[in-house]
Amino acid sequence: MSMLIFLLTFSSGHGNMSILIYMKKTAQKQNRKRPDSRPYQRSQGKRERNKEQTKEKILAAALHLFREKGLEGTTTREISKRAGIAEGTLFNYFKTKEDLALYFFQKETDNLIRWFRAEARLKKAPLAEKLFAIIHRQLEYLEPYEDFIGAVFCRSLQPASRLSPLGLESQELRLKYLRFIREILTQSEEDGEIPLVGDLGAYAVGLFYLGIVTHWLQDTSRGKQKTLALLDRTLNLGTQILKKGSWEW
Amino acid sequence: MVEPKNGSRGRAAHLMRLGAGLAGSYLAYQLQRPFLAEEGAKERKQALRRKHARQVRDKLQDLRGPIMKVGQALSMQTHFLSPEMIEELSTLQMQAPPMHATLMRAQFKSALGKYPEEVFRSFEPEPFAAASLGQVHWATTKGGEEVAVKIQYPAMREAIESDFLALRTAGLAARLTGHLKEAVVKEAERGILEETDYRKEAHNIEHFRKALAPLPFVRIPKVYHDLSSERVLTMSRVPGAPMARFLKSNPRQELRDTLGTGLTRLFFFQLFCVKALHADPHPGNYLFNEDGTISLVDFGCVKYLKPEVVRCYAQFWSREWVRDPKLFAAIIRVIFGPKVSPNEPRVRRCMREIRSFYDEFHPLGPAPAVLELADSKFMDGLAKLAKTLLTNKFLSPEFLFLSRTESGMCNLLHILKARVATTQIAREWMPPN
Repeated sequence: MSMLIFLLTFSSGHGNMSILIYMKKTAQKQNRKRPDSRPYQRSQGKRERNKEQTKEKILAAALHLFREKGLEGTTTREISKRAGIAEGTLFNYFKTKEDLALYFFQKETDNLIRWFRAEARLKKAPLAEKLFAIIHRQLEYLEPYEDFIGAVFCRSLQPASRLSPLGLESQELRLKYLRFIREILTQSEEDGEIPLVGDLGAYAVGLFYLGIVTHWLQDTSRGKQKTLALLDRTLNLGTQILKKGSWEW
Repeated sequence: MVEPKNGSRGRAAHLMRLGAGLAGSYLAYQLQRPFLAEEGAKERKQALRRKHARQVRDKLQDLRGPIMKVGQALSMQTHFLSPEMIEELSTLQMQAPPMHATLMRAQFKSALGKYPEEVFRSFEPEPFAAASLGQVHWATTKGGEEVAVKIQYPAMREAIESDFLALRTAGLAARLTGHLKEAVVKEAERGILEETDYRKEAHNIEHFRKALAPLPFVRIPKVYHDLSSERVLTMSRVPGAPMARFLKSNPRQELRDTLGTGLTRLFFFQLFCVKALHADPHPGNYLFNEDGTISLVDFGCVKYLKPEVVRCYAQFWSREWVRDPKLFAAIIRVIFGPKVSPNEPRVRRCMREIRSFYDEFHPLGPAPAVLELADSKFMDGLAKLAKTLLTNKFLSPEFLFLSRTESGMCNLLHILKARVATTQIAREWMPPN
């Protein structure tokens, strides 16, 4: 869903690709630094964890209410009441409901990446199956909150929305997802399964995911069977086309 | 591709493509299914057939509407298309490749709420066979029983609905195909849609398990209801090899005859005593054993027959209508409907064909005749009959399933090269007229 945000920046030019590479390098640097700064990290870690717990509590309360009353129908007062915190505290964490939504998608992306890395079964699977597994997992995650996702979808398309791509936070989220996809594509490139697709490949998958979510939201078939069929067939089609050849860079 | 010649044709063709785009075309899939598994038959006159096949394919590509008619005709009569034709047809359709493990697991979970490994002691991630609308996996239950688990491909119901919707929107069924009445199309749609609900199939299996108990040589699986739902069906494993594999062991003539007799008895017992038919003639649905038993699988397509149809078939069979104009008129009413006059030339033509086929396949006479079914004249006779019936708008919905099963049986007997006393067997259970 971070792709919603991604979609809107996609059209703004190719500068993003270098950002993608830059972010990757920064992440590597940070990884190297970590051992030296351990004491600091630990005390910071506990506070962070508490903060994180409160945020999750708020999110759980909010999601429950969104499911019952929808995004528009839920007030911040109701959320803080349900989460058992003061309304002022809520504002310390999330300025708006959009911020909450953003946090929801951050969680989603983190969960997704963690899940995929632990799934040994998929390590040797063909690319189409890996991507199917990832997108299906995302849809499964979104499933209980379908109405909420629909509302977010509409909001994110409004230029003034905080879900729109201008905030730094959303950019980070977007890049995290793209890096993750890029990693999977790189693996397939190295195995000779597909030709070089570079960062563009990751962007294409992101756009594809956005299309699938759109279809999923509109899908009235039982168990969203049509979306599953579409996802399966289009991924097969896509990888088949890639296997047939490459292009000039 | 040739441009469609008029507006509504073009619209229908486009609709067909659109509909097929999302969930895939069921008919396309159905077209390939009964044939792709069958082996052999390479010695046919390939060159000529290939040319013919290509013409048919081009025609279908030009107008996707009639694919319906062909699909129906094909699913009824397994014998009448050459491998070349099937090969050509399969190039124009969406394929139904096996589901990869992730999709299979997703389908399983969406049907039963859990992943296979949570429900079974062991589960084979590679499918061992394709079945109606899905694929079948071996598994072992937590209680240690060996089972076959059938998992449906995604959006099968939706694919079927979109096929029929596209067909109806332009009124193609009646206008372009000509050979099929709306009632037949409706019946086909109902039957096909029913196949997408595996609970219906579970019900059918249980019905047949009980009803066929008097035939000790027939084996039917047991359903595990707690491991089944609309899109997953868990059944006990039944022994046996499908026809192609069974024949590789070069069974002796005696065994072929026993099995052929068994198949024939199975057909007539179903028709006259159970009044319901396992109506999917796909050869993979019959498993053969060395001890002469036959395992019957895949009960997705079952037709429960009205008593008057069974009676009509018996009268039909006895050929007394040849001398009895009253009986003749009664039979025509059941098969063609009340509006058709028994004096119409096409009706007479059809009945003549039927009679000559039945005289060959079930010869009437005092001494029980044993038929050599390896002889290709039966299959040629059947093909000729089917052609006449199709071009003369003969088929009524009930008879569609009946003839589909009967020709399926003929086909199996033919491949088996069995010698069977068909007339004697039919008489065994035939209700008195």
